[in-house]
Amino acid sequence: MRSALAYTPGRSPLHRASVGAAVLYLGSLAAIAFVYPNPLVLLAAGVAAALAGFAAGARRAVLASLRLGLTLFIVMAAINILVNHRGDTVLVRGWDVPVLGNTDVTLEALVEGAVLGLRVMVAVLVFGVYSACVDPDRVLRALRPVARRSAMSAGLVTRMVPLAVADSARLREAAALRGPAATPVGRGALARRVVESSLDRAVDVAATLELRGHSLPGRTRPRRDPSRDSVPVAVAGATVLVVSAAAALAGIGEFEAFPGVKVDAGPATLALSALVIALAAVPFAVRRWRERV
Amino acid sequence: MSDPVLRFEGVTYRYPGAAAPAIADVDLAVEQGEFVLIAGRSGSGKSTLLRAGCGLVPHFHGGEVEGELEVAGLDVRAHGPAELAEFVGLVAQEPESQVVSTTVRAEIELPLELRGVSPAARSRAVEEVSLALAIEGLLGRATDSLSGGELQRVALAAALATRPRLVLLDEPTSQLDPVAGDELISLLRRLNEEWGVAVLLGEHRLERCLAAADRVVALAEGRVAFDGGPTDFLEWALERDEALATPGARLLNRAGLGTPTSVRAARRALAAQGVSVRAPEADETPPMRRSDAAALEARGLWVELGEGEERTEALHGLELLIEPGERIALMGSNGAGKSTLLRAAAGLVEPQRGRIRVPRGVALLPQRPGDLFVHERVREELEGEAAMPSLRRFGLEAMLDADPRDLSGGERQRLAISIVIAGREADGDELPGIVLLDEPTRGMDRYRKAELARLGSELAGGGAAVVIATHDVEFATTFADRVVLLARGEVAADGSAKELLTGGWYFSSEVARILDGAAIGVEDGLALLRESLARMRDAAPAGGGVS
Repeated sequence: MRSALAYTPGRSPLHRASVGAAVLYLGSLAAIAFVYPNPLVLLAAGVAAALAGFAAGARRAVLASLRLGLTLFIVMAAINILVNHRGDTVLVRGWDVPVLGNTDVTLEALVEGAVLGLRVMVAVLVFGVYSACVDPDRVLRALRPVARRSAMSAGLVTRMVPLAVADSARLREAAALRGPAATPVGRGALARRVVESSLDRAVDVAATLELRGHSLPGRTRPRRDPSRDSVPVAVAGATVLVVSAAAALAGIGEFEAFPGVKVDAGPATLALSALVIALAAVPFAVRRWRERV
Repeated sequence: MSDPVLRFEGVTYRYPGAAAPAIADVDLAVEQGEFVLIAGRSGSGKSTLLRAGCGLVPHFHGGEVEGELEVAGLDVRAHGPAELAEFVGLVAQEPESQVVSTTVRAEIELPLELRGVSPAARSRAVEEVSLALAIEGLLGRATDSLSGGELQRVALAAALATRPRLVLLDEPTSQLDPVAGDELISLLRRLNEEWGVAVLLGEHRLERCLAAADRVVALAEGRVAFDGGPTDFLEWALERDEALATPGARLLNRAGLGTPTSVRAARRALAAQGVSVRAPEADETPPMRRSDAAALEARGLWVELGEGEERTEALHGLELLIEPGERIALMGSNGAGKSTLLRAAAGLVEPQRGRIRVPRGVALLPQRPGDLFVHERVREELEGEAAMPSLRRFGLEAMLDADPRDLSGGERQRLAISIVIAGREADGDELPGIVLLDEPTRGMDRYRKAELARLGSELAGGGAAVVIATHDVEFATTFADRVVLLARGEVAADGSAKELLTGGWYFSSEVARILDGAAIGVEDGLALLRESLARMRDAAPAGGGVS
């Protein structure tokens, strides 16, 4: 079975745009996750990425990323309240435990953990949409003139990941087929077999890459991308990047967890959040408008 | 005559660390536009020879090469596989390892792009190759969504995209159903005739491709044992190594009617002699099978695979009853549901509707028996007292300290079966009620297939129903007493091997096609031919008759 995050060819603006435009578009949403601590803006970036994924037909990738992101969100929030006891609002009064010290659970630590989790969630979501909608072959080809050997290694890894996943599933199944009197297969033995199998596969895949001509001197003549989707995708990405950077410099969307939670939820922050979502929808709206015209 | 497109002169090659050479003292020249078949038993050096023909040996695998080896006039030692790929393409046995791009279009375009071909010329080449191989409908598809047969065609397309003068193929039909296998061979013949591409094809199932070949090269222990035309090859094989001869050639040769290279030639030979055979009157009353004694019972079995939009129906209300001791060949095209049925019986997939029952236990041997070997010694694969009867049953008790990977092909197969059976004995020392083998004949020569058929019969003799999923019609004729043909997740036909493997076009043995369905295998076909020849002799006037 194919992974939910595997690239699936499609005709959406994200699929058809040039690699640079698609990376700029999704990269701008990922940048918000790293730059902004404000949960409203983070939420807007997450909504924008999810909507872009749905609009591009990557529903399975969005849902899988959300599941993974939500798990990480919960784990990070839980870890943060265990390791961070700062903050004015104590939710649960703990004890002073040797080595661990104070074990109070505070609202501020919980919110800080949730914001960290939200950042990771947005990043995972953006990666999921990227993985399902941006053709890795085109990325590697764009990379090849710059770093031929690295592109070849990346090509090998790109192909090896789904093969290793398939081999691992097959070997797990074979382990389940062993009779009750056969020696059980432990995790270590299974992992060793997966590695052995992957190395065998890697040799075959590397031979194929060699035959295709990956080791030839870089004479590639890249195809000029005729897609009209590149411009709106790139413009939307660049605008998100510029607007969010300018807003950050202007102090919009500030957030503080300690000593007390302070979330800037003013009109400017709300406008920025709405703008991020609206700008992310632009390439899809432009495509629809063009199709109608 | 122009220079050969491939030339081996006294070539000996040894893999790194190997004691014996994989190919030894090979002299071989392939001319432009020739279709050459490489025959030989498993391990005879076919794959190594093909890998040497495209430069992977020695550049990729290392090792020592002696002698002269040239592709399109280029010394293979001085030019690597990437350079040689402009003149020679390789299609290997495993389709999954032969695609490196995410989409079919990108895969075909890649070798051209890496050689600096302009985008317009690349687009034209992709269109031409995809039309020639009838895969234009796949161009937009993701490569990891393709079936084995589709992947094989895409790999061939990528190998042909640079318009090489020679294409090398290593058992390309081993994973294909009879229809797809025949189509691939016809396609190669067409490429050979219309494009002038020389073809060097390594195959075990010679009956499938011998008629297309101009020449046959037989390898034995890495050496060229025979090099000549298909008819001469068959005569050589019948004398030296009968398992390499096609069933049709064995049939007619033993009847004294020549050595035909194809079904058509065999039928012509029979017609020229005025031989006509009549099938004996058959009383084919379908046996009544009882569900209370069933080794496997499937009722309205419905299995869907995949998720979301990729969800597909693999089994579609399937009904099947199998009794202990039956020897069944489970056949059908790629994607018909054979593996899914076996996996459902073994409990690896859950049916959405219906039920499947295996009251006396089940053992399933997966497609790659090697996946079951996880330890360094045979004795470590099976533990405790319950394991020994299983090893003893398959004659492996003397190999307890051997590494499973060092065993011969047949021994590996027997060890794999003993691993899946161990401890599943239904009652004391008895076998489980049903033993399932998923496409075990891939890449096997006729000797190993005969060994497998014997093993299957032993298991059936021990009381287990034995079901072998296979694409190999000739193997099915030697093993099965019943054939279940699946199509689109349902049982399309179910009957005796004699009934089902004689009347069709694709799912029919070579002997059956020659004798219009009157016989299924060489032995019963020979009996009919001899009977017919005797009748003709009796009817002929004195002094005349059939020689």
